[in-house]
Amino acid sequence: MSSHATTIDHHHDHTTSTGIPNKKLLMWAFLASDCMFFGSLIATHLIYRLHPPPGTPSAREVFSIELTSFSTFILLMSSLMMALAVTAIQKGNVKSCRWSLLTTIFFGCIFLGCQVYEFNEFVHLKHLTISNSILGSTFYTLTGTHGTHVAIGVLWLLLMYVRSFQPVGGRSQVSYFVRTFVHVAAFIVVIGLAMYAVLGLVHTLQGGHSMGSWVSGHWIAVLGLLAGLVVMNRLAQPRGPIEFNEVNAIDVESMGLYWHFVDIVWIVIFTAVYLLEYL
Amino acid sequence: MRLPTLLSPRSDTPISFWQTSVARWTRALLALAGIALLTGCDLKWWQMDGHQSTLVTEGPVAHSQAQLFYVTCWVTAVIFVLVGSVLAYATFKFRAKTDADEHAEPPAQSHGNPLVEIGLIAVSVIALVIIAIPTLHAIIFTHDVPAERKADAYTINATGVQWWFRFEYPAEQISGAGSLVTSNELVIPAGRPVRINIRTLDVIHSFWVPKLGGKVDMIPNRANFLWLEAEKPGYFWGQCAEYCGDSHAVMRFRVIALGPKDFNDWLDKQLQPARTVTAQTAGTAAPKAQFASLRKFKQNETGITAKYDVNPLAAWQELQKPDANEDAALIARGRQLFTEKTCSACHAIRGHMPGGSPAYPDLTHIGSRSTIAAGLLENNAEQLQRWLRDPGAVKPGNKMWVDGYVKNNIKLTEADEIALVAYLQSLK
Amino acid sequence: MELAKSDFIPKDEAAAQKRKVLWTPTAKSGLVMWLTTVDHKKIGFLYGFFALIFFLIGGVEALLIRAQLAFPNSSVLTAQQYNEMFTMHGTTMIFLAVMPLSSAFFNFIMPLQIGARDVAFPRLNAFSLWTFVAGAVILNIGWFIHAGPPDAGWFGYAPLTSKQFTPDHSTDFWVMGLQLLGVASIAASLNFIVTIINMRAPGMTMMRLPVFVWMTLFTSFLIILSFPAITIALVEVMMDRNFGTGFFEVSLGGMPILWQHLFWVFGHPEVYILILPAMGIISEILPCFSRKPLFGYPIVVFSGASIGFLGFAVWSHHMFTTGMGTVATAAFALATMAIAVPTGVKIFNWIGTLWGGHLKMRTPMMFALGFIWMFMIGGLSGVMHSAAPADAQQQDSYFVIAHFHYVLIGGSIFALLAGIHYWFPLMFGRKIAEFWGKLSFWVVFAGFNITFFPMHFLGLNGMPRRTFTYDPNLGWNSANLIASVGAGILGIGIFIYFAVMVYTYFKGERVGKDYWDARTLEWSLPNPPPEYNFAVIPTVHARDAYWYEKHHQEEIAKEKAEHAKAEESHGGIHMPNASIWPFVTSMGLLLGAWGVSGVTADPSPGIHAKLAICLAGGAIMILGIYLWSLEGNEGYHIHLDENGNIKEDDHGHGAGSAKH
Repeated sequence: MSSHATTIDHHHDHTTSTGIPNKKLLMWAFLASDCMFFGSLIATHLIYRLHPPPGTPSAREVFSIELTSFSTFILLMSSLMMALAVTAIQKGNVKSCRWSLLTTIFFGCIFLGCQVYEFNEFVHLKHLTISNSILGSTFYTLTGTHGTHVAIGVLWLLLMYVRSFQPVGGRSQVSYFVRTFVHVAAFIVVIGLAMYAVLGLVHTLQGGHSMGSWVSGHWIAVLGLLAGLVVMNRLAQPRGPIEFNEVNAIDVESMGLYWHFVDIVWIVIFTAVYLLEYL
Repeated sequence: MRLPTLLSPRSDTPISFWQTSVARWTRALLALAGIALLTGCDLKWWQMDGHQSTLVTEGPVAHSQAQLFYVTCWVTAVIFVLVGSVLAYATFKFRAKTDADEHAEPPAQSHGNPLVEIGLIAVSVIALVIIAIPTLHAIIFTHDVPAERKADAYTINATGVQWWFRFEYPAEQISGAGSLVTSNELVIPAGRPVRINIRTLDVIHSFWVPKLGGKVDMIPNRANFLWLEAEKPGYFWGQCAEYCGDSHAVMRFRVIALGPKDFNDWLDKQLQPARTVTAQTAGTAAPKAQFASLRKFKQNETGITAKYDVNPLAAWQELQKPDANEDAALIARGRQLFTEKTCSACHAIRGHMPGGSPAYPDLTHIGSRSTIAAGLLENNAEQLQRWLRDPGAVKPGNKMWVDGYVKNNIKLTEADEIALVAYLQSLK
Repeated sequence: MELAKSDFIPKDEAAAQKRKVLWTPTAKSGLVMWLTTVDHKKIGFLYGFFALIFFLIGGVEALLIRAQLAFPNSSVLTAQQYNEMFTMHGTTMIFLAVMPLSSAFFNFIMPLQIGARDVAFPRLNAFSLWTFVAGAVILNIGWFIHAGPPDAGWFGYAPLTSKQFTPDHSTDFWVMGLQLLGVASIAASLNFIVTIINMRAPGMTMMRLPVFVWMTLFTSFLIILSFPAITIALVEVMMDRNFGTGFFEVSLGGMPILWQHLFWVFGHPEVYILILPAMGIISEILPCFSRKPLFGYPIVVFSGASIGFLGFAVWSHHMFTTGMGTVATAAFALATMAIAVPTGVKIFNWIGTLWGGHLKMRTPMMFALGFIWMFMIGGLSGVMHSAAPADAQQQDSYFVIAHFHYVLIGGSIFALLAGIHYWFPLMFGRKIAEFWGKLSFWVVFAGFNITFFPMHFLGLNGMPRRTFTYDPNLGWNSANLIASVGAGILGIGIFIYFAVMVYTYFKGERVGKDYWDARTLEWSLPNPPPEYNFAVIPTVHARDAYWYEKHHQEEIAKEKAEHAKAEESHGGIHMPNASIWPFVTSMGLLLGAWGVSGVTADPSPGIHAKLAICLAGGAIMILGIYLWSLEGNEGYHIHLDENGNIKEDDHGHGAGSAKH
């Protein structure tokens, strides 16, 4: 499989009737369906925006457009990195692809972190909960669904990253299964601990507490984070020929389609939910 | 003729099904069953003239809807006959009659004829236009009271509640008690357009009086309305037409249309507080033996007698007058029980029982209504007692049973029931 | 079932099991085979098997409904039981009978008609099947537990589905059951779309696709575009019930009318999801038994497309009585009339197909002709509904029941019963006896009309739907009694049909290939079709590809021989591996959905157990997906000898065999 590296046509698959690879077509069809999911949610939000029940809090007072604009920008940048990852693997550059994937994951996590921060702030400071007004119901359900899409995307990226280390004939080795599992677990732990530590840091700085209190509350998390990074680094060391190359470009590309779609949906949500309030 | 077919179902011979003996037996049985059915049934259903007929109509809105129905019916019937004849002709003309036919050279492998198809499409579009024009006209007409009659229109608010209807007359204000309220029987002026605001207190219901007009749904958080008019005085059947839970089927009501004078008389009476019966006003006749015919009812036993089919309006008018032989003592006992048994916590009886809640029927003039339990039972002593004894058996899941009898552990003796019935019947 | 006749077992299977970390199932029979199969034909069979079971259950529910309504004020069922019956009858017939039965044909027939060896994603296909089963279990679980079966109607109008009005968990099970069915339907449809667009045999251009394949494609598009609306609506109900959101909560300002819009944006396309496959089946049967091509093929195809397209523009005709105002009412009335045109066109084309043919009056043809008649009645009463003011009287009355049963039984079910008869010889190599087939047709036909024709009169005479009882003085007694007797006859007809079908499955007469002298590619296969379908992928030269092959035999034989050689030089016939992980994933979903349905907002006793069930379900699902993706999809190869028997089968192992 890895022997004929130069002749692959990335845009045409001769085994299908249309030349479009099956996975890509599947992803396009799924995204069409997903459009309707978000369409229904956004429609629900806009309908209740047009018919606000009495006592609905003003969205403008709740939202903080600066933070959301920042996270929107970050998500856009993640799409750029995703595109770079696809280009890299199409050229057979696995290493560059991995770095682009990692950056995409990193940006995706920043976006998710912003959302966690935002939700937390809205609930505790602005007193907008999912059950005390329709605005809360539609807002959290819509952005939460989008956040879930981003989280699934991050998980998928992460699995793709880990998969890029698959040795030749890897599927018949027990060690490969164990290593993959540890790799995925370490990655998830790192993301979780990093978000915990950073959100704690932001909270400390905002609350005007001392750094000492943050350290004393988070040093275990930071240690765990470092340990996780070390494990990840060890597992990412080269160990012989791998089975991940331009043939897998279609997998990365399908994932990219998903990621870009989620990004575009966010642009729509950002416009319809946030920007609309500032007109 | 060919009994072996029955015995050897594997036979490949494509003989006609109708040539077999089993088929003949089936036919005979079907014919017998058909005759038995037809003789056992009255054929009136064919005429569709029941109390809730949408075709034998008594008001302009329903007329318009029925006429539109006939237009659609005729257009589609003509299409059906035309297309059906061609289909039937093709089926018989081109069917393979013999074994040889089936194995003959296949017919010409033709693929279609664009001209025929475009022609047929054009014809169908024309047929639809014939339906579309009266449809648009009727949509406008049935939507709201025509502009030139707006001034004459009488407004009523109808509210659906699980599982009964509350009717409010905003034009008739009573000092200290708000608008005139009644339940399950809507009295309207005949010959005047009536504009009804359609609301609900809980789930979705639908307001439907087939002889006067189509339905409009009662939807929470939505200000719907409809209009209808009864051309002549009459008594009409209505029903909730949107599934609304356990007792949806028995959420019914009546509409009584009265001429101008009768309507005003009725309003005057309704505006009075509840009637109080004392020994002086009870009349001179000896108190009647109220429950000589008391009996137990089967589950789901019909609660309406034939007098409402023969002359419902007269039957209703009869109920407007007080009974000649009322037992003042018994009525007083009933009034006392109404409070004791916590009935008054929910039901308002203006003049007798203050309070109550709009979520439960107002009983100020219940004695003058022709039905109880939302149009389910006739308003007479034995049905009223049946209802008071075990509301849950009459109307599954109803609130009087669930939130009243069960929650407050209400127990009524037979004497209690009789006293309550006497009291409620006195509320004319 | 003997779909795969091969009892070939790889010689070094034991060695293979050692080298492979994840288990590759190789069973050719037994439970393991059924749970792990990825063969579209076996999956199609299972879809059909479950669908027919639920069809019978839904039928029993219908008979109970008719028993209750045979006489006024009768007490066969209580109000509660009656409400459960009509809720479950509707939900079962739509989601668990007609849709999966259509799906059975999509699975079994569609890949064969386009000359493919399987669907594009065989394991996803298995996942769809088992998720459908999981959804069916969740929907029906209420019969066996304290909460009882759902009773808020198949349409579940808010706010009747809120915690306030249905406090027990029956509605939660209804919500989660439908969610799983939605996942199953969308996954299956994505698969069919990719298969039809991408897996066609050489020469099978889009305008050569059999009409059934076209209708599969349109149905699949309708499913992926319409199911999201109900999924979101159900999510909103679930959030309202469990997390206190206010989507349909009136006290917070929620608007229950929104549910109706979301529901019918799904619900109306759903109607076409139910009828388009039926139209596809009819468009296969009529040409076959008329022995001439479909009349006006392009118009039939494009009318299907326009029905699918317009199907998204007419949803509010289910809401003519909700007070939409004159403009919206008029717009939806006109759109609804417009959709009658492409529907009528199909009927004209079917009659055109009969015209000038040699009509072989066999059972499938009887059902197909019955379909045209009944669908015509149902379609025309549908046109009556488009006249909105008249519909204000008909809405939610028995007239509507008559209308949609003419479309769904006279339409969908007749066509599906026709399809079973038509494809039975192909699927199982046995034929259903003509006599019994025709007997069942006539009894079903008579019973159906006796049941539903009087309902038109009932509706116009003012009988509302979903009522467990009625008074005897309203003029409804006779028609109801006739309808109930008819339902009994219909039940007998269906019983005959099924008894004969089961008998034939085990004991029926065996028949050879191409029993009906048919026109499309699936009939070029021996019956039952081998697991690899086509020994040589066919090359298509015309619409009605097999008819062409039969009339150009020499040329085709030569072509096939060449292609067989070429394919063998490419490493033989590539087959996908069986897998247990789709099943595991679905069972995780089942467990999770069960747990979620039981969870309440207030921490009540047992909440931790229920949360544990949710988490366990989620964990199993994630494990299933994880191992599913780790296991890869190399597949294996089959090598045939000259006679088309399997010569060699490198089942998922052997150096170099997995790749080419």
